[in-house]
Amino acid sequence: MEKKLEVNNLRISFRTPGGKVQAVRNISFDLYKGETLAIVGESGSGKSVTNRAIIGISAGNAIIESGEIIYDGQDLLKITEEDFHKIRGDKIAMIFQDPMSSLNPIMRVGKQLTEAMILKNKVGRKNAKKTFNHMLSLLNKHMNAECDSAVQTANTEACKKFDTFCINSLKLENAYNERVRVSHELKQELEEFSFLVSKHQKVNTSKLIKSIKETVKKVVDESFVKPSSETEELNSLLDICSSEASKSVEEISENLKKLIELTLKLINSALEAEKINFFTLGYYALDNSLDGIYDMSVEELNKMTRKYLDDNFMIGFINVGADALQHSHNESLAAKNELINVLSEVEVFFKEPNFNKKEASAVVKPLFAKVYAAIDRLEIVKNNVEYTFVSSMNNVLNKYYFALKNNPAEEKRFAKQSAKRDALIAKGKNPDWKVVPASLIDLQMVCDEICGIIRKLKANYEVQIEKDHEFNKQEKMVALVDFFKEQASQVVYKVNKKIAKIKALKLLEEVGIPEPLIRYRQYPFEFSGGMRQRIVIAIALAANPDILICDEPTTALDVTIQSQILELINKLKVERNLSVIFITHDLGVVANMADRIAVMYAGKIVEYGTDDDIFYDPRHPYTWALLSSMPDLDTEEKLEAIPGTPPNMIFPPKGDAFAARNKHALQIDFEEEPPLFEVSESHKAATWLLHPSAPKVEAPKIVTERIARMKKRLEEENNGK
Amino acid sequence: MENNNPTQKEVLLKVEHLEQFFKFGKFVNRAVNDVNFEIYKGEVFGLVGESGCGKTTTGRSIIRLYNITGGSVYFRGHRICAGTRRYKERISQLKAELKARVNELKEQLKANPDETERINSEIATLKSEYVEKIAEQKKEIKSAKFDHKNCNKEYAKRQVALVNEKYASLFEKATEEEKEELEGQYKEELRLAKKDSITNKIQMIFQDPIASLNPRMTVREIISEGLIIRGIKDKAYIEEQVYRVLDMVGLVHEHADRYPHEFSGGQRQRIGIARAIILNPEFIIADEPISALDVSIQAQVINLLNEIRERLGLTILFIAHDLSVVKYFSDRIAVMYYGKIVELSTSDQIFAHPLHPYTKSLFSAIPLPDPHLEKARKRITYNPIAAHDYRTDLPSMREVAPGHFVYCNNEEFARYQEELNK
Repeated sequence: MEKKLEVNNLRISFRTPGGKVQAVRNISFDLYKGETLAIVGESGSGKSVTNRAIIGISAGNAIIESGEIIYDGQDLLKITEEDFHKIRGDKIAMIFQDPMSSLNPIMRVGKQLTEAMILKNKVGRKNAKKTFNHMLSLLNKHMNAECDSAVQTANTEACKKFDTFCINSLKLENAYNERVRVSHELKQELEEFSFLVSKHQKVNTSKLIKSIKETVKKVVDESFVKPSSETEELNSLLDICSSEASKSVEEISENLKKLIELTLKLINSALEAEKINFFTLGYYALDNSLDGIYDMSVEELNKMTRKYLDDNFMIGFINVGADALQHSHNESLAAKNELINVLSEVEVFFKEPNFNKKEASAVVKPLFAKVYAAIDRLEIVKNNVEYTFVSSMNNVLNKYYFALKNNPAEEKRFAKQSAKRDALIAKGKNPDWKVVPASLIDLQMVCDEICGIIRKLKANYEVQIEKDHEFNKQEKMVALVDFFKEQASQVVYKVNKKIAKIKALKLLEEVGIPEPLIRYRQYPFEFSGGMRQRIVIAIALAANPDILICDEPTTALDVTIQSQILELINKLKVERNLSVIFITHDLGVVANMADRIAVMYAGKIVEYGTDDDIFYDPRHPYTWALLSSMPDLDTEEKLEAIPGTPPNMIFPPKGDAFAARNKHALQIDFEEEPPLFEVSESHKAATWLLHPSAPKVEAPKIVTERIARMKKRLEEENNGK
Repeated sequence: MENNNPTQKEVLLKVEHLEQFFKFGKFVNRAVNDVNFEIYKGEVFGLVGESGCGKTTTGRSIIRLYNITGGSVYFRGHRICAGTRRYKERISQLKAELKARVNELKEQLKANPDETERINSEIATLKSEYVEKIAEQKKEIKSAKFDHKNCNKEYAKRQVALVNEKYASLFEKATEEEKEELEGQYKEELRLAKKDSITNKIQMIFQDPIASLNPRMTVREIISEGLIIRGIKDKAYIEEQVYRVLDMVGLVHEHADRYPHEFSGGQRQRIGIARAIILNPEFIIADEPISALDVSIQAQVINLLNEIRERLGLTILFIAHDLSVVKYFSDRIAVMYYGKIVELSTSDQIFAHPLHPYTKSLFSAIPLPDPHLEKARKRITYNPIAAHDYRTDLPSMREVAPGHFVYCNNEEFARYQEELNK
């Protein structure tokens, strides 16, 4: 499965008057395409903080101490705010807990929905154009390597041609889509008209005839429908009807009835027809006129245009392009082979913290340039490690430089202050201030971090060199052409106010709001809680994101509405192949939604696994406690409440943070932090109880009994089938 | 929990035709519309329903935070709230009836003028008859108004009488020296009895522990406020009581001098509970006490409420929308839908055999902590227009099985009974 999002060793703390609150302490997780990851924990466990960092809206006093959030070859913690505009809302969207406070109370719902669409469309088109041109010129460059000038000009020509016909074909397709939309509208109008006539209501005949006339003209004349005897009949009927309508006839004439019938038939046949392959047609249209081609059946037309494209251009282009890809790949591999040795040398250099800024930058600068050059930029799926290497290295190095400067100064200050205090005490006074201990940064640890990053890159290179034989240039080229097509479609796809409104209405319908035309013009306060949350979801989906973050979307709602909203999110996830991060404190909600669950406590992930792992085989005492403190419909016995409250994260406890509230705590829990033990491949838990030499501890009775009950029920069900 | 026989139990609170309307200009919001139920001593009565269905309004009406529109509430047999809408409506109905009948007679008079005397006398008797009936209703209104206003005073009077009785016998037996001592005690008790009120015996725990505690008062002041209003001046006694309830809800004595913002959500809710139980109430209205809390803290609060209930023999009206918690905590459950109770039964019965379509739809929405079951769960939607046909056959609350009431009409009643007998 494709990884959509990667969070590595993330640490976030907050500066407060009382001290530094360590909200998130070293968490890592991945999000795959099309899955739901649920993050469960008490309030204050850092689940919202993590997700706010992902979408780049951390509070002002937040400090991101370390870690990386990688999305599409970018580290979201290090990119500028301007770059984030391209991602936030567009690629990653968020649904907030309280629908009322996340909607603008003085803007109509429709405006709030279309605003983002129009803005994002502008940015998206610009970006897509940039990517398209950049990639094409890169491809051209690699095509032109190692060949004479005649071939070079031919290649450049081919690339240019590819560019023009991509755009051309999409323009054709857009015109086609527009006509489809118009036909749909006319169909709706005709149906409404017939309905009104059947109810003996007053109708505006001349208006209808006018719109039929316009639409039919658009549809037929612009070659969407093949002209035939039917269309001629239709045209003649239209003339008769328009002359009749001006006479203000009371009754609906036979002619009009026939006209409506005919129009409906025409439109239906047009809408149900097979779709033309516009990509190939676009190329055909470059060289030939389009007159008369619509007389062919769609199948024939598609065949003909495809053959034309393949014979004249595509096969040659793909062959040349594939060679170019191979060239680029080989070049980058050769650079990587070379770099592995360099990296080993650099790693030795950074092993001990005995270098200064000047020395380091002398080593690092050429390295960065080399790593940068070694990236195979024609790969569509970006390799995260390569792309983020420079920024992560810079980050850690800056930390090192700061430490170099800061550590002696801190030590000096500490010595001065303690001397002062000692002197006061020696005088017999009792000073009412304390010496703030020196906050020193361990240089060795920073060095280890640097080496870790280098080693990661090296390992990545080695894997790539090993897997060299899997490289299939033909396949990659086809994928690249598809990528070009996608980018071009974004360039051509223009959203104006009218289109945005139609899209917004469709979206409102999609999220289950009845009568969207009326709702579109209302203010948020006119909606009930559940409806408001639907609007928020619609806004989040407006820009068609990849990742949807739901921050307790149902906590403010009651049971019936809650299950409606959850069903909606599930439905949309399947329809749009979204990746969802679902934050909640209610494990009951999670069972329905999640593919995988991460249980968080005091800023750490304490257990991590699939839904079956967590519900049928929980291992961490905190997960037990969460499960046992929640009654279900069969619970009779006393609930096992978790005693005490979550720890103060200004002074995080030594060892396992949950130890103080845990009745199964071992001695070691208070002394040393447990690592993540692996229960199965997908299931990990951070508790010393999983250590081979730990005593056997059973989960609380209330949990084991419930699991036994669930397993029994599951078995019965399986037997029943 | 097992004993479901209502006849053996003492009725503590009885709600009869409770109505609570709110006016918004011309529009009247019938938040609670003709609700009837009884709560027995020592039980937990759960009230569930979606938000906006009137559960909280019912609770607040019982504790007299609103002046109710119609119906009455009896606590320990004394009427503590009463509304007049029903009687007023009856009066206007009677008046209309009278007018119609008099008009009818007058028509007769026009038709045959010879019988003037007889018809006139008939009209006179009719009028006097109706005047009597109206007077009866007016009397009811008066008594309802009196009860609503003076229930606490009446209760204080009864308490004073009790104290007088007690001390009269004591004074007879006592010697001269003892009498002086008794005099002081008597005066103190009399003063307290005069300030006593029956609504003290009902206390409320609110939903939001942050909004329901005064941020400018220390915990000691918050908890002891009730005692002070009650007229107790003995500082040592107040302190003793505050420490007693703090112990009971699991807080430490040092917490008494802190402010609410220094506590976590669960602890704040404990303060709310402590405030509710310091006056030794018999009946507590818990209005969504856990829905603003984290899951782990919820269990603490439920366990605490359970413990206190057992220790003090409390009766609780538990209002919530988390159905699994209600099922776990309550003995009997009433399901509300738009101001009406649609189903009422013991918790086991109602979850095993939900009859009303709304109850079924509500229960089908409960999330379960079991991924396989949860992914297969199908939600039932409830549409009152499609589900019921109340055009001719009007619904009312009917007992389908012993102790199991459903709001239904004749046809549905037969169908539900069949469903139960399966």
